[in-house]
Amino acid sequence: MTEHAHDHTPAAELSAVPGYYEIMETAVRELLTEKRLFGPGEIRRQIEVLDSRTPALGAKVVARAWVDPAFRARLLANGRRACEEFGITFYDDTDLIVLENTDKVHNLIVCTLCSCYPRPVLGLPPDWYKLKPYRARAVKDPRTLLAEFGTVIPDDVEIRVSDSTAMVRYLVLPQRPAGTDAFTEEQLAALVTRDAMIGVVKAEMPEAKEALQ
Amino acid sequence: MTQTEHLIKQLPTELGGLDAGPIARVEHVLEPWEKRCHALADVLDFHKIINTEEKRRGVEALGAEAVGSLSYYERWIVAFANILFQKAILTPDELARKMDEVSARYQSEIIACER
Repeated sequence: MTEHAHDHTPAAELSAVPGYYEIMETAVRELLTEKRLFGPGEIRRQIEVLDSRTPALGAKVVARAWVDPAFRARLLANGRRACEEFGITFYDDTDLIVLENTDKVHNLIVCTLCSCYPRPVLGLPPDWYKLKPYRARAVKDPRTLLAEFGTVIPDDVEIRVSDSTAMVRYLVLPQRPAGTDAFTEEQLAALVTRDAMIGVVKAEMPEAKEALQ
Repeated sequence: MTQTEHLIKQLPTELGGLDAGPIARVEHVLEPWEKRCHALADVLDFHKIINTEEKRRGVEALGAEAVGSLSYYERWIVAFANILFQKAILTPDELARKMDEVSARYQSEIIACER
């Protein structure tokens, strides 16, 4: 291709014509539907399920665990069962292990082999979670990695890294920020970010978040 | 240590513990076809056609160059196609013909829009 070739291609046409892989996706889906391996509505319904899963769900679970010690105990004993009791359906066969941060332990989750993630409670992972630098470094030098996210863990606090698998997924239960005694469950949930449930940051008061910016 | 031992102790697909650069905090909202591809993965799993482990191994089987060059969902759809061939659910010819048909359909839709 010459360096001027793209000058003659209208931009509108470029965006209108689907690429090779999108055509492959459409072709595979249509062939499998024609062979009646699944119904045409199943993909659409699963897209709706995927759209219904966001970190706000996980944040509600965390806030409930902060205000209800009995729920917290059930959540730590069996993450999936407690989430299901809370009304979150698991659309796959995965187990969920909830990892509690304390004054002595900070938890971090990763999937070194691919991109396993607690999708039923957090939705889809961010791109950086799926890329090499995070997957390679999280298990080797998590303290330095966390510092890159602005999270400085004191040397006397243990960092535990949990490597997800196809069947076992993890969720971090962050520590409840100090000074939130008067907060409602809803106000607490607003403090819990996706990144806090991955373990790369802490759950923080809004003031603390603004001070960092 | 032999000259090849390190290749076996950590396979090329095992990234955990390797040296790597800083975390670029990239994120993007999925394209519609990427979301369809994700939903397809889930539906294939529900129907026990392709599970998560098979999908991962299918991506690894693409080889380092393709894994490094294709985007996340590009790797997935190619892996699905290969696994479906291996399971004799689809044939390469069948997929090629269908892709031509889909491509022609998109082209005619674009022509229809321009009129």
